[in-house]
Amino acid sequence: MALKILTVDDSKTIRMIVKKAFKPYDCELIEGENGVEGLSLAAKEKPDLIILDITMPVMNGIEMLEKLKAEHSLKNIPVIMLTAESGKQNVMQIVKMGVKDYMVKPFKGDQLIERATKIVQLELKKDDKISDPATAKCFLEDGGVHILDMPENIDRIKAVSIEEAVKGKAKEMNASGHEKFIIDLSKAGKISVVLVELIAKLVSTCKKSKIKARILCQSSMEQELKGFQETGDIPIDLSLKEAKEAF
Amino acid sequence: MSKIDELNIKGFIVGAVSDVYDTMLSMEVEILASSITPKIGKNLIIGSVSFSGKAMGSVNIMMDLEYAFRMTSVMLDMNIDEIENEDAHDVVGEITNMVGGDLKSRLCDAGLTCELSIPTIISGGDFKIETVGWVRKERIAFRFENYDAIAFIYIK
Repeated sequence: MALKILTVDDSKTIRMIVKKAFKPYDCELIEGENGVEGLSLAAKEKPDLIILDITMPVMNGIEMLEKLKAEHSLKNIPVIMLTAESGKQNVMQIVKMGVKDYMVKPFKGDQLIERATKIVQLELKKDDKISDPATAKCFLEDGGVHILDMPENIDRIKAVSIEEAVKGKAKEMNASGHEKFIIDLSKAGKISVVLVELIAKLVSTCKKSKIKARILCQSSMEQELKGFQETGDIPIDLSLKEAKEAF
Repeated sequence: MSKIDELNIKGFIVGAVSDVYDTMLSMEVEILASSITPKIGKNLIIGSVSFSGKAMGSVNIMMDLEYAFRMTSVMLDMNIDEIENEDAHDVVGEITNMVGGDLKSRLCDAGLTCELSIPTIISGGDFKIETVGWVRKERIAFRFENYDAIAFIYIK
């Protein structure tokens, strides 16, 4: 059964970041805009985890947490507090209130997931299809050659989504007898550890499915990729024409 | 010299802004030298948080609405045409809250305990911020891609 995660924050931006972070995982996200809504949703939905902001109008996160801890049926729901304030006093107050963990804003989605996995068991969605419309748009086909147009700024959340999508794409390619796959890094921006790890995983997925994979990138990126153990042996081309001809 | 005078307010703000841009936008922000005039358009948006207690003041971040839309696009992975004014306002408010929250924490750690307000947003045409009676005033301009923004900090 999918986990229920309640995010309580007056900022739509933060709620969206939280939602996006949990998107690859099998869980249902419920949203509240302040402590009053949060308490009501907690009582109704009995979530497995609450991600709670502190500074909110109507009822702030501290007050909501106090009321939550005072309610027998809700007091054991684990809470991760979000705060823009990293001051000693603030942190001490949060820790004393019995929260499982806290995060200081700004934070990345994958940092939140890292904390959440220490509290609840998150499982990736078992759907192999390319369910994320943004990821689906990254795939092109050109005469039997499938091209992954890697988006810029790959973080761990996007990487998980792309990894899952390529698994589905590999099955699709096997079924249609296609075996040529290009990972196009033209838009990818700078090389990061997450990107290198992702490329290695994608090439491994292709190998398992007997699909030939090549990288397309700019010359400035070529040497960098050759320098990583994970990507050093993957064939690299500097133009699409060259990559297609090299298969 | 008061406690407020001893604090490296500019350093705190530069650190907080750089951290917010690096973490939320995965991009480095360039802090502009005070000799450079930032390029700010006419369609302005200002995020503001205030703090009160042993230290009083506010953090205000001003930018062009187009800049706010671009930041929203990067931060929430949305196409520009999907973004509503309300989304951009929320992003600017949250960024101001993070920068203000960091400053408030440092003031509290220095013994200047204070409380932080929730962010407010002001948007409009050609206007500027002018205030009087502050012990410290800082103005820091920063560039992200081709867009400039200015942080105004007032403390007493």
